[in-house]
Amino acid sequence: MSLTARQLMDTRFETLRPEMSISEAVNIFQRTGRERGRTVFGMMVTDEAGTLLGLLSIYDILLLLRPKHIHIWGEMEDLEVSGLLEDACRRTKGVLVGDIMTTDVITITPDTDLLLIIDIMIKKHVRRLPVLADGKILGIVYLSGVFDRLLEKLAG
Amino acid sequence: MPIIDYREVLKGLVVQEAMRRQVISLPKTAPLEQAIRFIIKYKVNAILITAAPKEGLGVVSKTDLMGAYYAGLPLGTPCEAIMVGPPLFIGPQDTLDCALDAMRSQKVHRLYVRENGAPQTLGVLAYPDIVGLLYRYCNKCERSLRARGGAAKSLPDHLRIREVMTAGVQAYQQDDSLQQVMEGLAAYRFGAMLIKTPAGRPAGVVSKTDLILAYKHGLPTDTLARCIMTAPVQACDGNAPVVDALKTMILTDVHRLFVYQDSSQNLVGVLALSDVARFRSGTCRACLASRIIS
Repeated sequence: MSLTARQLMDTRFETLRPEMSISEAVNIFQRTGRERGRTVFGMMVTDEAGTLLGLLSIYDILLLLRPKHIHIWGEMEDLEVSGLLEDACRRTKGVLVGDIMTTDVITITPDTDLLLIIDIMIKKHVRRLPVLADGKILGIVYLSGVFDRLLEKLAG
Repeated sequence: MPIIDYREVLKGLVVQEAMRRQVISLPKTAPLEQAIRFIIKYKVNAILITAAPKEGLGVVSKTDLMGAYYAGLPLGTPCEAIMVGPPLFIGPQDTLDCALDAMRSQKVHRLYVRENGAPQTLGVLAYPDIVGLLYRYCNKCERSLRARGGAAKSLPDHLRIREVMTAGVQAYQQDDSLQQVMEGLAAYRFGAMLIKTPAGRPAGVVSKTDLILAYKHGLPTDTLARCIMTAPVQACDGNAPVVDALKTMILTDVHRLFVYQDSSQNLVGVLALSDVARFRSGTCRACLASRIIS
């Protein structure tokens, strides 16, 4: 029997709002992680009506924190980096979730087959795929969930 | 890496050695909201607007977006409505000297790179890229004062910030509106404006980045400058070596530092990355002297 997104998706999901600050979003990442007993690396962003607007991943946040000219750092002598991380964090204060979220989100339907999900994750380098039906979010499929199911199949 | 010509450090260096290959682009139909998001997310000052993938039609910069904010354009306006085009191109084998001349004469802060006659954009060259490359060459240069005498010994002979900075500082008050600040930025062609307290002390800075974020967040243009300014003001001592300021700018992602004399409250000028790049050398006098001879 083939597996589809319906069996693979996690239907318990927290969402972010675009007007939240980055620190608010990170607090929700941490709180959800504690509740689920695993680190949360990304979340869906929705409007008031629950419509999917984008995804915010830890990668988006890292991109914001990474100094723009870091490729030159290797050439610099006597590099004094103390306080730079704190400065980078301070600079994120005026930035909101909606400013850095990824909006061209790939979505799947509940009937999308596991093998197609694997193909999308490999080709598009994505670790999570929102599951939508008629524009409504039903759940989200994580790479870790896909991997767990594959391990079960392979072991069996 | 080409052989360093000691008479002129830029001679022999070509565009493709300094350019960035990641060109952030959007189709002409993309809304201004998306252009702002890309500028913030990828930390760039402008977006290449394309017709076909990588075929440059025009450019939307922070300045253009600030103009759209000032004019009250909706964030859903397509980029093609405000883009400036066509983009200025240069070849990957053209010299950096030639690129700097073009940037100065055309009064642009970046050039896009493509092979002559080819439609595809290969990269983008901006002042920070050139400064980064010069920094690299300066460190490797046998004639640099650093190589000959060590950093501590060479410091008195290094170029000083006050010699390279643009003298004079324009400022607005904390209670001036964003509209007034934008008018000032456009009139003086600045990237950021100093904001002062009623007592005349430096309070913060409003940059074009702050303004386009205010635009995206829906703040009206009569919002007061103090509501969005970045504080404290990043400043450096005019008597310090340029290399120190360069290091600070590279480490902290800022494109300009205000320059003080005697006291941090007495701001006398601005040092921008573009000032350092326009100096057409590294940061020590070994290079400067050789250029005078040549």
